[in-house]
Amino acid sequence: MKIVIIGASAAGISAAKTIKSTKPDTEIVIISKEDRIHSRCMLHKFLGHERDAQGISFVNEDFFEKNNITLLNNTTVIGLEPDKKIVKTHDNQDISYDKLLIATGASYFIPPIPGLRESKNVYGFRDLKDAQLLDTECLTAKNAVVIGAGLVGMDAVAALLERGLKVTVIEMTADIMSLQLDKKSAQAYQQLFEKEGAEFILNDKVVSVDVNAVGRGEMVHLASGKAVPADVIVIAAGVRPAFRFVEESEIKTNHAILVGDDLQTNINGIYAAGDVNGIAGIWPNAMKQGKIAALNMLGENLRYDDRYALKNTMNFYGLTTLSLGNINPEDEEKCDIFTREDRNNYQKIVIRNGIIQGVIMQGNINGSGFWQYLIKNKIDVSGINKDIFDLSFADFYGINQENGEYNYAV
Amino acid sequence: MKRIIIDREKCDGCLNCNVACISAHEEGSNFYTVNLQSIDSETRNFIKFDPKTGYTPIFCRHCDEPECVLSCMSGALEKDPKTGHVQYDETKCAACYMCVMNCPYGVLKPDNKTHTKVIKCDFCEDKPDGPSCVKACPKHAIEVKEVSL
Repeated sequence: MKIVIIGASAAGISAAKTIKSTKPDTEIVIISKEDRIHSRCMLHKFLGHERDAQGISFVNEDFFEKNNITLLNNTTVIGLEPDKKIVKTHDNQDISYDKLLIATGASYFIPPIPGLRESKNVYGFRDLKDAQLLDTECLTAKNAVVIGAGLVGMDAVAALLERGLKVTVIEMTADIMSLQLDKKSAQAYQQLFEKEGAEFILNDKVVSVDVNAVGRGEMVHLASGKAVPADVIVIAAGVRPAFRFVEESEIKTNHAILVGDDLQTNINGIYAAGDVNGIAGIWPNAMKQGKIAALNMLGENLRYDDRYALKNTMNFYGLTTLSLGNINPEDEEKCDIFTREDRNNYQKIVIRNGIIQGVIMQGNINGSGFWQYLIKNKIDVSGINKDIFDLSFADFYGINQENGEYNYAV
Repeated sequence: MKRIIIDREKCDGCLNCNVACISAHEEGSNFYTVNLQSIDSETRNFIKFDPKTGYTPIFCRHCDEPECVLSCMSGALEKDPKTGHVQYDETKCAACYMCVMNCPYGVLKPDNKTHTKVIKCDFCEDKPDGPSCVKACPKHAIEVKEVSL
């Protein structure tokens, strides 16, 4: 059997690993538009010169040889012919498959703001290529503008500050990382970034960019009337699933490639895993999906049910935060909110009818993994007679006496 | 694979397992010299106490399906196909702490001092007679047993 995987990030590599450890004689071809394997979560370490390109890989250098996997790098897929079971590439290769996994992830999006798309010095922060181009810009640039203060934007800010640039961050909402944090926890990070030299313009948005004679954006104009000079612009305003190459095929899409619980598309034998299927755009879920899609391609019939995606951790300047679920509930949601803080910690738990809706742990995140289980599985904690901040797995302790694995006794 | 099997009823919370773990991961340290005041002293196993249920040992299971490995974006956490143990490579770790978030039993934690690495049971892989915590337990509440995957 020959399995072709398009995309070589979390979902694609996890699928390849699973296939090779389950049925080692399966032929695998991975097609990647990128030059080399890398973890996009570590791009800031590359741009900040903390690590080189191999240092941000998440597989060993000999991964493909050792596992006997063919990697077609720098290769872009331009179309599919599901009837003939063929993938077509930009360099006119027709690659046949028995089963196909689409794991092309997502691409960044440049909003249609006058001057922004046209500017040659506007970059996303998604792939190694973006980081390499930014790396070159950093050699001469003095002023950087980062549009969007989400997690990706803030990663870019940290790296650009590390490189000594003057960085201005422009964000539409009132707080940075507003999907993950509440006001208090966001301000803790904002202060740390400001201490490093970043400047924040919040509650504002870009309306136009002045493009100079050589096609580079040099002045960013905001709705407030402010203008910020820029030698380089990073756009971190969200991503879109990357599936343009399937548009002329029969594969069903709706802002993402549509898959069933088995991660199969509407076409038999073609699966989609990771950001491209729109289920949960986060690394751990992509890995898990890659694994399940791989086992299903090998004939299993497994369901992917871990759809919980409202979760993140962050670690900037040594301040760590765990963020889960709905941490900024509206009044009409009628949630109870508990907070606790000391000099080094800020903790918040959002709860409704005994079910935890959201958690922020900023500072000490030791052993905080069990919170996700409680939220994801809607465990009722109202019967537990103790301070909610003192909960731990011990309150739900179960163990399989046969194999020693833990489980939740709920 | 070998796993530390827990008998919660036998645990009386003496924390010898904590001390043994700290000592085992400190160069040249032993039971008598281990410095529990040091910020570098980190235990990889935990005992929770509750007046109703008593002591609960929370130890890394080196799970059959390790969520920490699936969440690792740097390749620092891997399940060894031979031993079945989940091993951690500090040099690869990017300290993103997705693994801390994803461990359903709340075993993993950042290091206290720098928040640049993860504190994770290594099953005392380099010690010829196995996990130090198990040897230190006077109640045999934790014991190494062979389990099938």
